[in-house]
Amino acid sequence: MNTNFSFNRLGLLLKRFFVENGQKELTFWAISIVVFMLMYGPASVVIYITIGGFIFASNMYKSFGYTPGGMHYLLIPATHLEKLVSGIILSTFYFLTGVLISYFIGNTLGTHLGNVIFNLNNTVHFQLFETANEINNISSGSSYLDMFIGFAIVQSIFLLGSIYFKRSTIGKTFLSIIVFSVVIGLIELILLKLNFDTTSIQSQNINISLLEVKSMFPGLEVVGEIIKYATVPFFWVVSYFRLTEKEV
Amino acid sequence: MITIKNLEFSYSKKTKLLSNLNLHLEAGRIHGLLGKNGEGKSTLLKLISGLVFPKEGTVDVMGFLPQIRKPEMLQEIFFLPEELPQITLSIENYEKVYAPFYPNFSSEKFDEYLNEFDVNNKKNKLNKLSHGQKKKVMIAFGLATNTKLLLMDEPTNGLDIPSKGQFRRMVAAGVDENRCLIISTHQVHDLDSLIDNIIVMEKHEIVFNQPIENISKKLLFRIGNRNENNEKTIYSEDTLHGLYQVCENTSNEDSKLDIELLFNAITTKTKEITKLF
Repeated sequence: MNTNFSFNRLGLLLKRFFVENGQKELTFWAISIVVFMLMYGPASVVIYITIGGFIFASNMYKSFGYTPGGMHYLLIPATHLEKLVSGIILSTFYFLTGVLISYFIGNTLGTHLGNVIFNLNNTVHFQLFETANEINNISSGSSYLDMFIGFAIVQSIFLLGSIYFKRSTIGKTFLSIIVFSVVIGLIELILLKLNFDTTSIQSQNINISLLEVKSMFPGLEVVGEIIKYATVPFFWVVSYFRLTEKEV
Repeated sequence: MITIKNLEFSYSKKTKLLSNLNLHLEAGRIHGLLGKNGEGKSTLLKLISGLVFPKEGTVDVMGFLPQIRKPEMLQEIFFLPEELPQITLSIENYEKVYAPFYPNFSSEKFDEYLNEFDVNNKKNKLNKLSHGQKKKVMIAFGLATNTKLLLMDEPTNGLDIPSKGQFRRMVAAGVDENRCLIISTHQVHDLDSLIDNIIVMEKHEIVFNQPIENISKKLLFRIGNRNENNEKTIYSEDTLHGLYQVCENTSNEDSKLDIELLFNAITTKTKEITKLF
């Protein structure tokens, strides 16, 4: 028997999710298709995916919210890694796949239905992807990857929140993000004060272009890239250790 | 099967729930874990199954550290908690989802146990069943998993009178020399003629851990005369039916073990009882 990771047990955990939540899932995707049929403009689609995503991730370990549920979940004969990977697959990859399929179906149906009802001749546009290219003005592959990383970061944070907090996981995770942001803001203020003797960038005439910053700190871009790619694994690793430490 | 050494546990820093607890339990027995409310019976079961971690000391379950929660250990443990989780699945789907996690699960046995409990429709959803019915399903599932270790926290709570008898029969039939069953309860009468080892927790410690045969050898349970002053009497309870007594069994007499009386004797005359063993 593989003591660390078994695809068979991972499959059983995924099966458990779908058998337990099958009806809820179908209802959610049906609602999503209708929502995407009615939605116009990429911003609302992004908002829907983001909010839907973190709600989904926050509910991934909702069984910890009450003791008997948590006990039942922790006693399922599978490793913590398998339990976490099933959560990651569902909250990140399954949700994104599901939401994109709903978007494609909803958008296509919406356009054709609009053509029939209002006697139009519109072609199907997937504005969500077109906008990504226009904004970034870079190759679509890289832009999609950035979009995915952004989505995965949000999901990984809320997945951790789902394991870390017992109840009101969405609210508490939001609060933690706010507290973290305030701390970062304070550090920024302190650094500004120390380096430029000010607490506001606006009030100062600091003429530093992005290229200058890059030349001043040659490793900055690399650090940025590392942070971009390491954030999601970081939260997954923290979630794993939190799961191993979980007591109910 | 289970060895606990110098275990310390507390939920808060101020109050210790379990202190310097030592316990060794063998397979092939049904252990009755008795104790007053709040003594830490459920917590002890949680420690054995790895749901909470010891603050000090060690717990060894079948050679595993429970807190690691390895699947090899978990697939040999079934824990029936006092409060059951809210499960929206039907009985049929519950079996379909959870049985594959237990390699020795017997579907035939599960059906047999359900029939014995008069739970006939596997299409019923678990969350639509009464507490007692749900408990019957979980007991049947637990027994059918054929795990080496079965932990049951107040299993007869919520069961009707006929079901308690069925429970006793099923458990007695379901336990063999390779299985170890720990039943935590304060409804001692429900376990009459079922358990073959009695563990008593008092003041957050194990004060008594003896097999039934030892208890019968050392102690005599009898109804005595109120005016009689027997110096061998360790503990007595005045009831409508007479003076129920726990005495030292010096004459190797056979008597029917009264678990409730024994429990009361142990909790009030701990030293006198334990020095006999």
